[in-house]
Amino acid sequence: MKRSKFLFMVSFLFAVMLSLAACNQSSGGDTEEPSDSGSGDSGSEEVGTVNIGYSGPLSGPAAFYGERTLSGVQMAVDEINEEGNFEVDGKKYKLNVVALDDKYMPNEAAGNAQRLIQENKTPIVFTPHSGGVLAMQVFNEQQNFIIGAYTSEPKITEAGNSLTVRIPPRYDGYLEPFTKYAMEKHGKKIAFLPTASQYGKDWSEKLAPFWEKEGGEIVYNSSIDFAKDTDFFTLITNALKEDPDVLFIGGPSEPTAKLAAQARELGFEGGFIVMDQAKFDEMKRVTGSYDVLNGSIGVMPLVESDTPAIPQFVENYRAKFDEEPGSEAGLNYIGMHAFAEAMKAAGSVDDPKKIREAMKEGLANLPEEKKIYIIPGIGDDGGFESELIVAAVEDGKIVPIEAE
Amino acid sequence: MEILLQQLFNGLTIGSVYALVALGLTLVYGILHIPNFAHGALYMMGGYITLTMMTSYGFHYWLAILVSMLVVGLLGVLMERFIFYPLREAPPIHDKIAAIGILLFLEAFAQFVWGADYQMMTSPYSQVINVLGLTFTLQRILIIVAAIVIMILLYVFLKKTFTGSTIIAMSQDREGANLVGINTHKVAMLTFMISGALAAVAASLAAPINLVFPGMGHLVILKAFVIIILGGMGSIPGAILGGYILGFSESLGATYISNDYKDIIAFVLLIVILSVKPTGLFAKGGH
Repeated sequence: MKRSKFLFMVSFLFAVMLSLAACNQSSGGDTEEPSDSGSGDSGSEEVGTVNIGYSGPLSGPAAFYGERTLSGVQMAVDEINEEGNFEVDGKKYKLNVVALDDKYMPNEAAGNAQRLIQENKTPIVFTPHSGGVLAMQVFNEQQNFIIGAYTSEPKITEAGNSLTVRIPPRYDGYLEPFTKYAMEKHGKKIAFLPTASQYGKDWSEKLAPFWEKEGGEIVYNSSIDFAKDTDFFTLITNALKEDPDVLFIGGPSEPTAKLAAQARELGFEGGFIVMDQAKFDEMKRVTGSYDVLNGSIGVMPLVESDTPAIPQFVENYRAKFDEEPGSEAGLNYIGMHAFAEAMKAAGSVDDPKKIREAMKEGLANLPEEKKIYIIPGIGDDGGFESELIVAAVEDGKIVPIEAE
Repeated sequence: MEILLQQLFNGLTIGSVYALVALGLTLVYGILHIPNFAHGALYMMGGYITLTMMTSYGFHYWLAILVSMLVVGLLGVLMERFIFYPLREAPPIHDKIAAIGILLFLEAFAQFVWGADYQMMTSPYSQVINVLGLTFTLQRILIIVAAIVIMILLYVFLKKTFTGSTIIAMSQDREGANLVGINTHKVAMLTFMISGALAAVAASLAAPINLVFPGMGHLVILKAFVIIILGGMGSIPGAILGGYILGFSESLGATYISNDYKDIIAFVLLIVILSVKPTGLFAKGGH
C-alpha cells in the first residue's frame, strides 16, 4: 500500500515537473509546431512554410540573453508574416521560427542544429554564442545550412567557413577607439576585470597587447566569474590597490553594472572600458543613472542611436515584448530581415549556398524602415560590414564617439 | 594594513552570508541525514519573494524579509510533508533524487513566473561609509550584524527553549527522541521551517549587493556544502565557523596568493582539515 502511494507521489511529481518544463519551453516563442517545409496548405492559394532554426540558451543562467536574441528573430519573422507578401520565385511563403534550448553549451547547440535540419529542414540556424557557432562549423558545410552567428568573435569568420554569416561587428575593431579614448581621458594604467567566460578571456588577450603597444601598463589582470561570486568587493579591492586609471570590465550587462557600482563605492574615480557584451542602457537600469559610469567607453546602446528607423522599431518592440530592445534583439532582427531579402534575391528558400551568395543584394534591398543599423555590405568571410558605433558616458549622458 | 583590514571586512561580509545558508543546510542534515540539494533553490525563492513584496506590494525592506521568511519557511514545510516525509522509509538515494528534483522544479518555476533576467533589489541602506581609509556600505554592516543576531537567536532557541531542545534531541537520536515522547513529525516540520527562513534571510540580505536571478542559488549552495563538511555534517557551531573560515580564506587568499586560485584555496583547506580530522571540525553528536 505504502509502496504504491510512494510511486504515485513520485510519478505525480514528475508529471508536474514535465508539464511545467513544457510550459516553460513554449513560452519562448511559438515553437514546436510541426510543419514540413514546402508542403502546401489546402487553401486556394498555395502558401509554403520556411522554418528558421534557432539554438540558444533558453534556460539556465544565460536564459535572458537567449530570449533577447530570439525575440529579435521572432519579431522580424512576425513582421514578414503580417505583411504577407513574402514571395520567392513566384510562390508565397510564411516563416516559422523553431527554437531549441542549448543551455549555452556548444555540444547541445550542435545537437540542436542536427535536429533542426533533419526534422525541420531549416536553411538557416541562428545561434548567439561563439562556442555554438564553432561546434556547428564542423559540419554545416556538409549538411548544407547557414549559421546566423550572433557573436563578435573574430575567429568564427577567420576559419573560412563559406556558410557562416556573422551579424555583429567583430570586437577587435573596438580595441583602437576604446584604448585611445581611455588613455587620453584617464591615463595609461589599466586593471583587467572581465568576465571569466571564453569570450571574456579572448577579449582580454586581444586588448592586453594592444594596450601595451600603445605605451600603457597593465597593473592587475584577473577575471570574475559571475556565476560563482556573490560579492565583488574582494576582487575590486585588490585591483584598486594597484591604483589603476582605467578598469576593463564586461560580461552580461547587469552584473557588470553592479561591478562598476561597487568599484565606485570603493572610491574608484577613473574610467571603464566596457566590453561589447555589456550595454550602457541595460547597465543604467541597475545603477539608476549614467553618473556612475561617467568616463566609460563602450558600444552605443540601440535606443540612443540616431538611425531614422530606430524610434519605430523601439515602439513596436516595446508593444510586443514590454521591454526596451537592446542590440541583441536589434541585430538579430535586422539579420533575419536581411536573410529574408536574400532569399527573395536568390529565388530560393532551401538552397543555402544561393542564399549566402545573395546576401549582398539582400542587405542592399532592405527596406528603409527596417534599417536600424547601417550595414553597407557583407565581407567575403561572411561578416556584416557594419559601422562601429562607439559611445562614451560623459556628465551622465551618452555621447557618440567617432570610431575612425 | 588598510588592504588587510578591508579584506577582513569583505571576508566577514561574505562569510556571514555563507554561514547563514550553511546553518539551514546543517539543521536539515541533522534531521534528515541527507544533503538537501534544494536548499539553494530555497535561497533563490527567498530573494524573489522579498523582491516581489517590495516592488509589487510596496512593502518596506524588513517587512518584505519577514514575509519572505514565512513563505519560504512554509515552502520548506510543504517539501517535508509532501516529499521527504513519504520517502522516510525509502533508501537514502531517493531523498537525494527528490531533492534534486525540487531544485530543478523551483528553478524552472522561478524562470516561468519572474522571467530569466537579472533583477535589482534596492535596499534602503545603500549609503557608503568611509572610516580610516576603509570603505563600508551600510548594507554590508547590516549583513554582518544581522547574521550575528540571527545566530544568537538560533542558539538561544535551540539551547534554552523546550521546543529547541527537541530539535537537538531528534538530530542526536531519532528513535530515542520518539521514545521520550517527542513528536518527531512536528519537529521535522519545524526544522524545515527554520531552514527555509534562514535561506530567505540570507538571500534577502545578500541580494542588494548582487542581483536576483533564477540561478542565484548556485552562488552559495556549493560553498555551503563545503562548509558543512568542513564543520562536521549536522553541527551548528561547525556551520558558523566554517562559513567564516571560507569567507576569510576567499578574501585573504585572493589578496595574498592569487585571485585565480581562491576557490582552490578553499578546497585545499577542506582536504587538509579532513585529513587531520575526518569527521570535520566539530564531530556531530555533542553540539
